[in-house]
Amino acid sequence: MNNSDILVIGAGVAGIEASLLLASTGKKVYLVEKASLTGGNVIKYEDVFSNMECSTCMIAPKQQEVLQSENIELLTLSTVEKVQGEIGDFTVTIKKKARYVSLIDCIGCGMCYEPCPVSLKNEFEQNLSEKKAIYVPCPGSLPNVPAIDPEYCLQLNGKKTCNACVEACAFGAINLSDKDEKIEIKVGAIIVASGFDIVEPAGFPQFGYGKYPNVYTAIEAERLYASNGPTEGEITLRKGNTPPQAIAIIQCVGREQQGYCSSVCCMYSLKLAHYLKHKLPDAKIYNFHSDWCMPGKYNQKFHQDVKEEGVDFIYSPVDKIKVEGNDKSLLIEYYNGKDEKEKLSADMVILSLAMMQGKDTASLSKLLGIEQDKRGFFMNQGIQLGSVDTSKPGIFLAGCAEGPKDIQGSITQAEAAVGKVMSYLS
Amino acid sequence: MSDRIGVYVCECGPNIADKVDIKKILTEISAFNEPPEKIIIAKKHKLLCSKEGQDFLADEIIKNELTHLVIAACSPRDHDITFMNVCKRTDLNPYLYKLVNIREHCAWIIPDKDEATEKAIQYIRAGISRVTYQDPLIEKELDSIPDVLVIGAGIAGIEASLSLAGENRKVYLVERTSSIGGKVTKFEKILPHQGTNLDIIQEKIKAVQENENIEIFTESEVEKAIGFFGNFEITLKNIHNDEQNNEFKVGAIVAATGFNLFNPEKIPRYGYGKIEDVYTSLEIEESNSKTGKILLKSGKPPKSVALIHCVGREERGYCSRVCCNYMFKIAQYLKEKMPDIKITEFYKDLCLPNKADQEFFVDTKNKGVNFIRFKDIAVKQKDKEKFIEYTKMDGKKEKISAEMIILAPAIEPAEGSKEIAELLNISLDETGFFQEAHQKLNPVATSIDGVFIVGTAQNPKNIPDSMMDAQAVGGKILTQLIPGEKLIPEVIVSEISEAFCTGCQTCLSVCSYGAIYFDEDRNISIVNEAICRGCGNCVASCPSGAAHAKHFTSTQIYQEVLEAIR
Repeated sequence: MNNSDILVIGAGVAGIEASLLLASTGKKVYLVEKASLTGGNVIKYEDVFSNMECSTCMIAPKQQEVLQSENIELLTLSTVEKVQGEIGDFTVTIKKKARYVSLIDCIGCGMCYEPCPVSLKNEFEQNLSEKKAIYVPCPGSLPNVPAIDPEYCLQLNGKKTCNACVEACAFGAINLSDKDEKIEIKVGAIIVASGFDIVEPAGFPQFGYGKYPNVYTAIEAERLYASNGPTEGEITLRKGNTPPQAIAIIQCVGREQQGYCSSVCCMYSLKLAHYLKHKLPDAKIYNFHSDWCMPGKYNQKFHQDVKEEGVDFIYSPVDKIKVEGNDKSLLIEYYNGKDEKEKLSADMVILSLAMMQGKDTASLSKLLGIEQDKRGFFMNQGIQLGSVDTSKPGIFLAGCAEGPKDIQGSITQAEAAVGKVMSYLS
Repeated sequence: MSDRIGVYVCECGPNIADKVDIKKILTEISAFNEPPEKIIIAKKHKLLCSKEGQDFLADEIIKNELTHLVIAACSPRDHDITFMNVCKRTDLNPYLYKLVNIREHCAWIIPDKDEATEKAIQYIRAGISRVTYQDPLIEKELDSIPDVLVIGAGIAGIEASLSLAGENRKVYLVERTSSIGGKVTKFEKILPHQGTNLDIIQEKIKAVQENENIEIFTESEVEKAIGFFGNFEITLKNIHNDEQNNEFKVGAIVAATGFNLFNPEKIPRYGYGKIEDVYTSLEIEESNSKTGKILLKSGKPPKSVALIHCVGREERGYCSRVCCNYMFKIAQYLKEKMPDIKITEFYKDLCLPNKADQEFFVDTKNKGVNFIRFKDIAVKQKDKEKFIEYTKMDGKKEKISAEMIILAPAIEPAEGSKEIAELLNISLDETGFFQEAHQKLNPVATSIDGVFIVGTAQNPKNIPDSMMDAQAVGGKILTQLIPGEKLIPEVIVSEISEAFCTGCQTCLSVCSYGAIYFDEDRNISIVNEAICRGCGNCVASCPSGAAHAKHFTSTQIYQEVLEAIR
C-alpha cells in the first residue's frame, strides 16, 4: 500500500522549506535533524548576500512555523540508522539521542544555565566561546529548548552527584534519566537535505591556520560579526583582544584540491568585506581573489558596491599565497597580476574555504542506497529526470547535499523535490 | 448581550510571577473602569500555554460566557496561534482576543519589580481597551480551479507542463512561435555533464504533445489575464488571426518566457555586423546543428578561432552564468571537427558555479585550447586579415590573428517581458527580469499569488536549473492548488469605504498585489479581498481616510495607544 508520509533528513533551509510545503497539504512529515536546533547553516549568518537581509529574521518565522505545524514531527538530535523498502513503502529506523529536556514542558526561560557548574567549548560558535553542559547553541535557537551534553554533565558522566539544573527548572522539564530511543517509522518518500561541511583549514598549512591565532575561517569571522555571536558582534582579535586594523580575506582556499568551485565564496567574501568596512571603517581590507564567480542578476552590483566602499581587490593565484608571522602580526606573500612577488602585512587573515559534502554523506549514501558523485556529494540524475532525483526512486535531493549552492538554489531544489514527491504520491 | 471580558495573567512559572506583582495586577485590572463593568473576571494561571492551561482557558471562556478574551503572557511569536486555537475550540471568534506581552516587554527587561508591574498594568489596560473595539472576522472559503496556464514552451515551460498536468489538472501551454521546444532545440549538444544528448529534449517535447491533459497553443499570445489565485480568466489571441480567440479559466499562471541574447552590434569594438566571420554563439550552434559544420563565409573551415566571453556583461551589469561553459563546449565542437585548429578563449572571469563545471574546463584546456584573461579587447580588420587586439591583466598590449570570431553575448530578458509583466501585474527588477516574491526564500513565486516565474525569465540560468525551477513550480502548485479543495484567503485585509472614497486612485498606485480595482461608474476604489494581503499601504496613503485595515483600524490603534500612554 502507498504510504503518503514523508521523511525529510536535515532541518536546514532546504529541509524546512520541503517540510512546510508538504505539511501544508496535510501530509505527515518526519523532519530528522542531527543537531539540537533547526536552521542549519543559515542561522549562523548575520546577513545574507546580496540584499543584506538579516538572516535570522528571514529564517526564524519558517523555523517557528515548523514547530507550530501539527503535521510536522520534528526529531532533533536524531539520525537515520536503517532504511528498508522502496518508493511508497519505506521502513526507517531513527536513533534519537536523549535531550534530557522536554520539548513540551520547557518554555525556554534559560534559568537552568547559570547553576550548571560545567563549562565547555561551544562548537556552534566555532569554539570562540563557551557554553554550559546544559545549553542552547546561541540566543534565538529554535526550538528554544536546551539540551544536555551527557559527556560533560557531571551527573550523567558519573563524576559527581549534581542536580543543579533540575532544581533550577520551575517547570519540571528536565529529566536526567531520559534515554536514547530507537524509533521506527513508515514513509512513502524521502527527501535528503543533509547539507554541507567546510573543508578543514588544517589541510592548508601555508595559510597558518591553527599556527597563528589571528588567522580565521570565514565562518568564524561570520560569528564574530553576528549580533547573537560569541562577542555580540564586536570584532576583536583572538590574540590581542583589540579590533583588527588590516584584514586580508583569501578566497578559493581548497578549490584546487576539491576540484570544483563552491560558487558562493566570492559572494560571501564580499559580504564579509562589507561587514568589516561597516564596523571598522578605518581598517584596511584586502581581498585576494582569482576569477570572480558571481552568477546571476543581483551579484555583480554588490561586487561594485563593495569595491566602492574602499576594499582593495588583489588578483592573485591562491596556490602561490603564503601567510607567515607571529602571534600578533601576519605577513602575506603573494604574486600580483604581473606575476611579481609582493608582501603585505595584516593583523587578521580570513580564509574563504571550499564547501564539501556533509561528513555523514558516505554513511547516508550507504544506508539509503543512493550514489555519490566523484566529488563526494550525492549524485543527481542529470537532465533526463532532473537535479533532485537520485539513483533510487522515491528518494530525492535538496540543497547543498547535492552540490554547493546558495540559499535561493537550495530553496528552489527543495520545492522541486516536493514537486516530485507530490507527483509520485498523489 | 453586553460585553463580557475575561483577563488572564500567566505566571510563566517564575518568569513573570517573580518579576511582577501579579496580585496587584489582578486587583487593579478588576477595578479598571474603562470600559465600566465589562471585566467579568481577572485570574492568574501558572502556565497558560500548557495543555492544562489551554483546557482551563477553554473552560473559563464557556463558563463565564466571555465575549472578549485578554491574555497577559509572552510574545505573540510564541503563542498567539496557541491561544487563537483555544478560542476556535470554544466558538469565541479568535479576532476577539488579544495577547499582551508582559514577559519580554516587562518581566524580562525591567529589574525593578514595581516599575515592571506598573508597565504590565498599563499594557493590559491598553489590551482591554483595544479588544472591545475589535470586530469578529470570518475566514472565507473560495472554490478554485486546478488548471494552469504556462506561457512559453521552451525547456522550462515544457518541464513545468509535464510536472503539473495530470488526471485532475489540465495545462494550457501557450507559445508565441510556431513550434515548441525553445532555444534548446537549436543546440547541437548540451554540456556533457548535464546529460547524455539532446534526444532527451525531443522526448520531452513528444511527451508534451502526446499528453492529453496538455493543450498546446502555438503562434498565440495571452491577451488578458484577470482574477486571482485559484480563479484567473484568460483570453488568448492567435497572432495571425484576430478572430481566433480562446477563453478559459485557470487557477495559476506560470511565466516561462525565456531570454534573448544581447545584441553585440551595440558595442562596435567587437565588429559584429561589420566584420565578416564574427558570429554569436547561438549562430554557431544553429549552423552546427543544421549542417553539422562550422565554416567561414567563404565555405572553408577556419584554421584559427577566437572565442570572446563576457560580451555585454558590463553593459548589462551582471554575469550571465552559462557563457563560460557553452564557450568550452563550442571549443570542443571545433576541436572534434578540426583537431589542428588553433583556439583562443578570451575571458574576464571564468564563472564555473556547478560542481562539474571545473572538470569540463580542465578537459577543454587539456584539449589544447589557449585561455587568456583580458582587461580590454577589440576585433580589428586590416586588408583581409582579422586581429584580436587585447590588453592583458598586467597592462601589456598584444594581438593575435583569427579567421573566425565567436562572441558570447549576455543573456537578457526576452522581448515582450515588460508587456507580460504588465498583463500579469508582476514586477520587473532593475535588470529587467521578472522579480521574484523573495530573492532568497521564494524565487519561483511573484508578489501576485498564483503567478509564478521559471527559467531564464527570472534570471540567467542553464538547462538543469531551468528544469529545476519548473519542478519547483510543480512543488508550489501541487501543494497549494489541490483539485476539489477550497482556498482560504487572508482574513486581515483592507476595506475602502464607499462613502469616503473620493476616487483619487492613490491606493491603486501603492498596492503591490494588484488587489484594488477602480469602479468607473461609481468613481470609487474597491478592494478584492481574495487578493489583498493586508499590508496597509492603501490605508497609509489614502488622503480621505476611506481605506482601513481590518483588525488594525485607526480606532483600535488609537484606543490601545490612549491607554498605553495614559
